[in-house]
Amino acid sequence: MTSPGGIRQDRTGARALPDDLDRDLTAVGLDQDATAFRRLFANLAPRLKFFLIKGGMIESAAEDVMQETMMKVWRKAEMFDSSKASASTWIYTIARNVKIDRLRKEHRPEPDPEDPCFVAEDPETGEQAVSRKQDRERIQKAMALLPPEQMTIIKMSFFEERSHGEIAEMLEIPLGTVKSRIRLAFGKIRAELEDL
Amino acid sequence: MSIRHHIGDDTLMAYVNGTLVEPLSVVVATHLAICPRCRKSVALMEDLAGLLLMEAETAPLSPAEEAMADIIPSSASPDPGNDDQPLIKPDYSNTGVPMPLAERMPATLDDIPWRTLIPGISHYPLPKSGSQKNKGTLRLLKIAPGKTMPEHSHTGQELTLILRGSYIDDLGRFQTGDIADLDSETLHQPVADTAEDCICLIATDAPLKFSGFFSRLLQPVFGI
Repeated sequence: MTSPGGIRQDRTGARALPDDLDRDLTAVGLDQDATAFRRLFANLAPRLKFFLIKGGMIESAAEDVMQETMMKVWRKAEMFDSSKASASTWIYTIARNVKIDRLRKEHRPEPDPEDPCFVAEDPETGEQAVSRKQDRERIQKAMALLPPEQMTIIKMSFFEERSHGEIAEMLEIPLGTVKSRIRLAFGKIRAELEDL
Repeated sequence: MSIRHHIGDDTLMAYVNGTLVEPLSVVVATHLAICPRCRKSVALMEDLAGLLLMEAETAPLSPAEEAMADIIPSSASPDPGNDDQPLIKPDYSNTGVPMPLAERMPATLDDIPWRTLIPGISHYPLPKSGSQKNKGTLRLLKIAPGKTMPEHSHTGQELTLILRGSYIDDLGRFQTGDIADLDSETLHQPVADTAEDCICLIATDAPLKFSGFFSRLLQPVFGI
């Protein structure tokens, strides 16, 4: 079986602390804080590069995407809202979009909140007003409870950016099994998050 | 609008990690514009991806890359504008359907230059963009009241978003805003079940397979 790889559990000491990342990114957005940016860069640029190479890019392309992503992080930081997303999520989505723009020469189709046809969420119920930090911890906890065969597929999807078809081939299982494991995994994560 | 049929988590995840072909992504994004519940799922998946990014190993940076940590803040000025969107403000007024479908429509739903496939069923292929032009199809389909799409299954995935009216098939009733997320194992035969035309947005990543003899004759006509 192909190793899902990409995540090493033995180097937790080098791991970035999510709250520090959020704080630094907010500082970059509010004050163009270059020191905070350097910390973000030191923490995330090497991980982004690893992540992109793991996702199948050659090193020079991964370097370009990483640099363009970090450039956007600096220029767009003002748009970051730590009550809506964590820094790692925000930076992940920027890197993904830079990559899609480059590889496919197209913009990723996305809903546009300014569109009059856009249907906004119902006014938040008290239950949903959970802090990002708690959310993150609960997602991490829920992920830790997933059976290995489901976690493998999730890691291959997000980390190596494999399509369902590629995953089926690499693991030598039917495509339908890949899809059903993904559905099961998210069913479990959701149940875990709702189960307060 | 109360949406009862949503996008499968497997499809949403392919949208989130960027591996879903463009026509299917257009249908997903159009549904997301009107479905807070599916947007919440997308947010959850992006959080998960962000967590995995933070736990990733590190790749060594070259000295030139290391230097970017200093060069970027001293050379680039902040620009919070969203350059993932076109500079010209999009025209939302003319089609009555959500972005990103609206920017691909030649006219409003009432003025589409429909092409008849068989009596009661017509379609309009939508342009695709990017470098993946050969991957998948994107079209509008109109089924007249009481008419039935020939029974078919799929060699790949088919995503259908109901834009107007409704239809019924073996899987249930699909109304405005609903998504039918079908894979190769599903055989279905939708019937438009109200007095109104049923208009859908349909994307596939591979051709449809028609099952009956006469239906097979249609294959070249549909070309989907």
